[in-house]
Amino acid sequence: MANRFFRQRALVEEAAQEVFLKAFTQLDSYEGRGSMEGWLTRIATNTCLNMVRSAKRRPELAVADLTDDENHWLDTNAGHTGDEPQSVEDKVVASDLADRLLGTLPAEDQVALLMIDGENASVKEVAEATGWSESKVKVRAFRARRKLRETMEKLLGSKAGRREGKLA
Amino acid sequence: MKNKHIIEILENSPLPALSDSDLATITSHAKECESCERAYQAARLSAIILSERVSVPVEPSPFFQTRVLAAWREKQSIENVPAWSRLWKSTRALVSSMALTTAALGVLSFFAPGVPSAGEDTASAYSAEAVLMDQQSDDQMSYEQVLSTIYNDENDDDVR
Repeated sequence: MANRFFRQRALVEEAAQEVFLKAFTQLDSYEGRGSMEGWLTRIATNTCLNMVRSAKRRPELAVADLTDDENHWLDTNAGHTGDEPQSVEDKVVASDLADRLLGTLPAEDQVALLMIDGENASVKEVAEATGWSESKVKVRAFRARRKLRETMEKLLGSKAGRREGKLA
Repeated sequence: MKNKHIIEILENSPLPALSDSDLATITSHAKECESCERAYQAARLSAIILSERVSVPVEPSPFFQTRVLAAWREKQSIENVPAWSRLWKSTRALVSSMALTTAALGVLSFFAPGVPSAGEDTASAYSAEAVLMDQQSDDQMSYEQVLSTIYNDENDDDVR
């Protein structure tokens, strides 16, 4: 579960440890009405959400902020029409790029987008895991998707602008 | 209007979850509309990086279980300590320093030589009559000096 939100092992383990400790201490509060897995998922989601919230958010992302590998990945994949299989290195670069783009979103939007678009979770599943209403989940995912697309479009546009500038 | 419609399709649900008919509508429109083509490309790349982002598993270190158990034991040992003991641990330094300061001040107040106040020295130079009668004197006395002079004179009278 923590793996959804964080890629650095230290952060994943920190989140997982926090979840286990919370689960041990709050075991009395589990009323046995829902499934144990659902109860644990909710604790894990809220713990990770709090950790994502505490991370510093970057309001904007520019081409200059990207690494050479990330720039190369965008150049390579932007022109293609299909979804070609990614090499192991490309997968890592794509994940890094995703982290950068997700870092521009509010924590709640990140959670909704990662769970729905990344892991194909349903709106209902996200609502159960977070404790939000289904309409809130939909709004969060919609806004996150729009912001992510707009940021990506801006990156691609400025890269195209640079290429044209170089050619001229 | 048609342009807006394409973007709405892109934003309403994840790209991999779109139906074949939706995808066909998007691709056919994107061929004719440059802005929709850009939006589609951006949505496509966003979908790829998101799927790659969650597909990379992070294996926990072999010491993870030990660390969690150690953290749990530490948490339990903290909870088992009585509240007054935890309070004492957190305020021990402050209380000790306050006690030391109080003791030092107490010792100083007993053993340091007393310094007579300015009023005591000068008060004896005046008599009560002089103070009451000589209101026009240029030599101004403070309120404390006046009081101490009067009361000293009264005490002297009582002794006599």
